[in-house]
Amino acid sequence: MARARRGVAVALVAAALALGAPAAAQGLRTLQVDAFGMHADRTHLRIGEVFHLAIHVHVHERVTALDELVVPNVGTMQLEGDERRVTGSPTGTDVVETLTLEPAAGGTYTFNAAYLDAIDARTGKPTRFSAEPVRVVVDSPVPSYPRPGTLSRFARETVVVGAGVVTVMIVGLALYRMRRRRATAPLSAAPPAAAPLVPPRTPRDEVADALRVYRSAPANGSLVRLRGALFAAAGAQPGATLRDALGVTRDLPLRTALGAAERTAFGPAYLRDASSVELIDATQAWLG
Amino acid sequence: MSRPRDVLDALHATIVGQAEVVEALVLTLIAGGHVLLEGAPGVAKTLACRVLAAAVGGVFRRVQFTPDLLPSDIVGTRIFDQRSGEFATVLGPLFANVVLADEINRAPAKVQSALLEGMQERRATIGLQTLDLPAPFLVLATMNPYDSDGTYPLPLAQLDRFLAKVVVAYPSLDEERAIVDRFGAGEPPLQTNAATLDDVLRWQRDARQVFVDAKLRDYAVDLVRATRGAELVAHGASPRAALALVALARARAYLEERPFAVPDDVRDLAPAVLRHRISYDDRIAIAGTDPEDVVRRIVASVRAP
Repeated sequence: MARARRGVAVALVAAALALGAPAAAQGLRTLQVDAFGMHADRTHLRIGEVFHLAIHVHVHERVTALDELVVPNVGTMQLEGDERRVTGSPTGTDVVETLTLEPAAGGTYTFNAAYLDAIDARTGKPTRFSAEPVRVVVDSPVPSYPRPGTLSRFARETVVVGAGVVTVMIVGLALYRMRRRRATAPLSAAPPAAAPLVPPRTPRDEVADALRVYRSAPANGSLVRLRGALFAAAGAQPGATLRDALGVTRDLPLRTALGAAERTAFGPAYLRDASSVELIDATQAWLG
Repeated sequence: MSRPRDVLDALHATIVGQAEVVEALVLTLIAGGHVLLEGAPGVAKTLACRVLAAAVGGVFRRVQFTPDLLPSDIVGTRIFDQRSGEFATVLGPLFANVVLADEINRAPAKVQSALLEGMQERRATIGLQTLDLPAPFLVLATMNPYDSDGTYPLPLAQLDRFLAKVVVAYPSLDEERAIVDRFGAGEPPLQTNAATLDDVLRWQRDARQVFVDAKLRDYAVDLVRATRGAELVAHGASPRAALALVALARARAYLEERPFAVPDDVRDLAPAVLRHRISYDDRIAIAGTDPEDVVRRIVASVRAP
C-alpha cells in the first residue's frame, strides 16, 4: 500500500502546548517524573526506510493522559503514524508515544528533546523535564561512479570542462566590472540573494497534519493533538475550555469541528465512533 | 414528565437575574445535595428557596435560626400524652422535603450539628427513635456575611457537608429596576408544581448515570488538590470536594440534557464547590485580598483537559 507522501514539515507540537512558557506555573500539574527517555529503533538508514521514534515517560502518579508531553518537531520527515499508550502500573503510569517516520531526504537529523512542563512533586517548583536528543543519519541514494577503466578519461574531461567554465566566468566578471566603472552614478550594493521562500506554518496546517494523524491512528494521543490544534486555530489559549474557544471564533465550520472534538474527547464510549466520524468530517469541511 | 429545565424556568419566572444562584439551586437538587447561600439581606436568598420549594411540590419548612434555638426545635421531640399515658413523637421542621435554614450561623453549634447530622445521614434521632428523613431531602441554608456580631461561624467540617456555596450578589441596575416593577405591587404568585417529588428522585437517579471521562475526574481532583498549599490558604479542600465537583458536573450535564460532562462544567462549578471548603490564613486580611480572588486564582492555575 502506497504511503501518502508529505513534502511539508510536520510540526507535532500543538500550538496550544507550544505557547506554554515553562516558567509559568499556571496550569501546570504536579507530577513526579521518575523516567523520561527518547530513542530511535534505527539511527542509520536510507531514504525510504521507516523507523520509529519512541518517547517513554514514567510518572509516579496514576494519570489517564499526559497532555503536557510535547514531542519533538519531526521537520521534513514524513509522519506515518503516531500512537500514544498510557498504562497504569503499581508504581505509577507509563506513557509511551511512538512516532513512525520516513525520511524524505538524506542528511543527519537531530530530534530535539521531548519535554513536559510540570510542577515537580519532589521540589514543588515548575520544572521542564526532558529526554536526551536523538540523532539519526540518513544516507542519500548511492551515486553511480564511472568504471575504473574510464576513470582517467573522465577526470581529464572534467578538468577541461571545468577550466572552460572558470575561464568564461572570469572573462564575464571582468567585462561586468569595466561596465560598472563607466557608470556615472554609484550603484548600491546588490541585494542579497533571496532565501528560498518557505511559507510559514499556519494553524490550518497544524490542523491538517493533526487530522491526517488522527485519521490514520484515531488514538487518544492523536485526538488530544487534533483537539488542541482546533482550539489553537480558533485562537484559544492553552488550557482553554470549549466555551473559551467558541467565544473567540465566529467561524461556523470551525465551531462545528470544536463541538465534535469535545464530544469525541469527553463523550461516552458508545457515542465515540459516531462523534469521531463527525469530527473528521467537520474538520475536513473546515479545511475545505 | 417534567424536566429539570421546567424548575429552572419556574425560578426565573419569579426571580430577577441571579442566574448563577438559580442554576446552583437546581443543580444541587439534581445532585441530591444541600446548598449554602451567602448574601446581604434582601437579595432574594429566601425567596429563591421558597420558589424552588413551590416548584417541586413536597413539604416545605422554614426555620429561622436564632441564638436561643434548641436541637429539638428542628429535629422534634417526644411529649407526654396525658390521655394515652404514653410519650408521642412530634416531628420537627427537619422532616420536610425542602428545609430553609435561614441565617444558619445565628444558632449555636449544638443546633447546627443537629441540622448538619440530618443533612449527612438523612435521618434524625428523637429520643430513642431514629427516623429517616423524607426523600428527596434538600437543605437550603442562608448566611449574612455582614452582621457577624452574635453569630456562631460554622466550622470547616460542617461547611464541608454543603455541596455548594453560592454567593448572592446585589442585582445590576436593570435587574433592580425590574425587581421594583415586578414586586412593587406585592409578591407575584409562585409557580407551583413545575415538577413532582417523583420527578426529582428520577432526576437524581438518572444524573448519576451521566458519563464523566477520566480526564475530567482527574481535572476535578487536580482542582481540589490545588487548594492545598495555595497562597493565602491555611487549609485546602477535602476529597469530598472532588466528589461534590463531579456530582455537580453530572447534574449540569443532565440539566443541559447532555449524556456526558465537559471541562466547562467542572471549571464553572469549581468556585461554588471550593469557596466554603477553604480556610484562609491571617495574611489574607492583612493583604486585603478578597477570598473569591484566591479561589479564582486557584481555578485558573489548573489547566483544563
